[in-house]
Amino acid sequence: MIEARGLTKVYGDKTAVAGVNFTVEAGRVTGFLGPNGAGKSTTMRMIMGLDRPTSGSVTVNGSPLTGHAAPLRDVGALLDAKAVHTSRSAYNHLLAMAATHSIPKKRVHEVIEMTGLAEVARKKVGGFSLGMGQRLGIAAALLGDPQTVILDEPVNGLDPEGVVWVRNLVKYLASEGRTVFLSSHLMSEMAVTADHLIVIGRGRIIADAPIQEIITGKGQGRTRVRTDQPDRLMQLLAGTGVSVEAQERELLEVTGLDPRQIATAALENHVMIYELTPLQASLEEAYMELTKDEVEYHSLITTGAVPVEAGGN
Amino acid sequence: MSSTTVESTPSPRGAESRAQRSGNGSSSGPGPSFLRVLNSEFIKFRTLLSTLILLGSTVVVMVGFGALSAWGTGQFSEAAAQDPEVAARLAAQGGDIAVSVPTSGIAFAQLILGSLGVLLMSSEFTTGMARSTFAAVPKRIPAFAAKLVVVVLTSFVITAASTLVAGLVSVPILDNYGLGLDLGSSQSVKLLVVNSIYVAAVAAIGMALGTLIRNSAGGIMSLVGLFFVAPIAFQLIPGDFFVEARKYLPGNTVDPLTAVEHVPDTLEAWQAGLVLGAWVVVPVLLAAILLKKRDV
Repeated sequence: MIEARGLTKVYGDKTAVAGVNFTVEAGRVTGFLGPNGAGKSTTMRMIMGLDRPTSGSVTVNGSPLTGHAAPLRDVGALLDAKAVHTSRSAYNHLLAMAATHSIPKKRVHEVIEMTGLAEVARKKVGGFSLGMGQRLGIAAALLGDPQTVILDEPVNGLDPEGVVWVRNLVKYLASEGRTVFLSSHLMSEMAVTADHLIVIGRGRIIADAPIQEIITGKGQGRTRVRTDQPDRLMQLLAGTGVSVEAQERELLEVTGLDPRQIATAALENHVMIYELTPLQASLEEAYMELTKDEVEYHSLITTGAVPVEAGGN
Repeated sequence: MSSTTVESTPSPRGAESRAQRSGNGSSSGPGPSFLRVLNSEFIKFRTLLSTLILLGSTVVVMVGFGALSAWGTGQFSEAAAQDPEVAARLAAQGGDIAVSVPTSGIAFAQLILGSLGVLLMSSEFTTGMARSTFAAVPKRIPAFAAKLVVVVLTSFVITAASTLVAGLVSVPILDNYGLGLDLGSSQSVKLLVVNSIYVAAVAAIGMALGTLIRNSAGGIMSLVGLFFVAPIAFQLIPGDFFVEARKYLPGNTVDPLTAVEHVPDTLEAWQAGLVLGAWVVVPVLLAAILLKKRDV
């Protein structure tokens, strides 16, 4: 369990993290979302004891990381894909890390196998692709078989196969009762990976809730309907609290009714529908809605652009 | 990455112990004791090709300069035998010119191993390795101390060993010119030990600079400034202050420490020892304090 209380970090005259409070519970995947410069990486570095909080505190299982007897066995972190000396091989890097905690060589080989690095383990890290660097970072995070796993943008640079692998890995780790805290700019990825979301903007927590609540909490679910008789269906569905929008010929977007109600109305009136899609995966929208006032760097070109996280602040 | 195989399910190692451990902060298994961190730092040290190249270069330079110096010294003494003027100069130098032959490459050894000291710490920061290092050892000071031990011990051993080899190579060359070099003499041993300690001290200063500056080029330039530029600059600047201050530069502590007898206008041996000690202790303590305080 990770607990932040009044956690604040000020760099010069810039407040990166402004007195945040949150708890990351064990046994579930907690996602950490926020636009560029929102304070995600700073928060994660403070958890790891690498940056000193200006005020407030953050603890892992009740004590700051400096107070842990065996930090690597308690908390594993991927903060930066290449927090590694570029001239050292992946194997030697992990071996040196393992030596600090007398972690056996066997475990080093295990995490190398687990992260699919076996073929490149003896090569210099400097030649690694971003994806391989991420895998090495994840290998290092898992080295001490830690109770708490912190991953900053773990899927950055991974191929689709790797993305699925990370998704399964973090779910598996959480299912074992571990605390899993990961940030990602891929909100669609969060939607399928995280159980709980903490949204941060300009150093403040904007939302801290189960992912389902964040998605449904912002506006009602919408449904896309395609039909031969859009006008007729529009009349049938009209009612209080229901809005039907004709998007294009034969395509409607319905808010205020669930797909079953729409299908029932269509069936009873012999209107054929050939598509009925719940537009539920709108975490992007929920996120945009939440962070629209908090975005540090507004895009000047497009109004609807998703603020793309480039990896830390 | 397309060629690597991906396991969809990670190895379930620790799954059983997980049940007992989950939810509490107690660690199962050993933590970062000083000896473990020292072992880790030694692994980091020996697994960098650049480190090994610098160590090898030190040996080559020390032995090479020893041999060259033996040859030059031999030529010089041969000239002295025929030319009374040169003989007088030789006599003015105190007679035994062969004894310092094995350590004639020290100026370069200190530059190489001092730079190594800088690089071992600055590269942690420039590559991002520091985040891994200090995440594993959040108290930071054990990692710093362990690295210092590795740097100091290695520099001492490499300097001592290469001085010895340089001596062994020089003996037959000097012998050719009828000059004797007894590597077991007290002055030979003193030169070897003091110079090795001195180079180890330079490496420690280098590591402190690397920790403070966190930049390889900046750290090495500072080191060069302190050991190569400052002595010359102090000599050129007029005024008694700089003449006096020059004695207290770290690079000018070796001669008083190894002198057979005290040379006027230099520090006493014990003073030189204290000065060199201060040059090591102050930057190292400052580096340790700031390393503990600053963000990584």
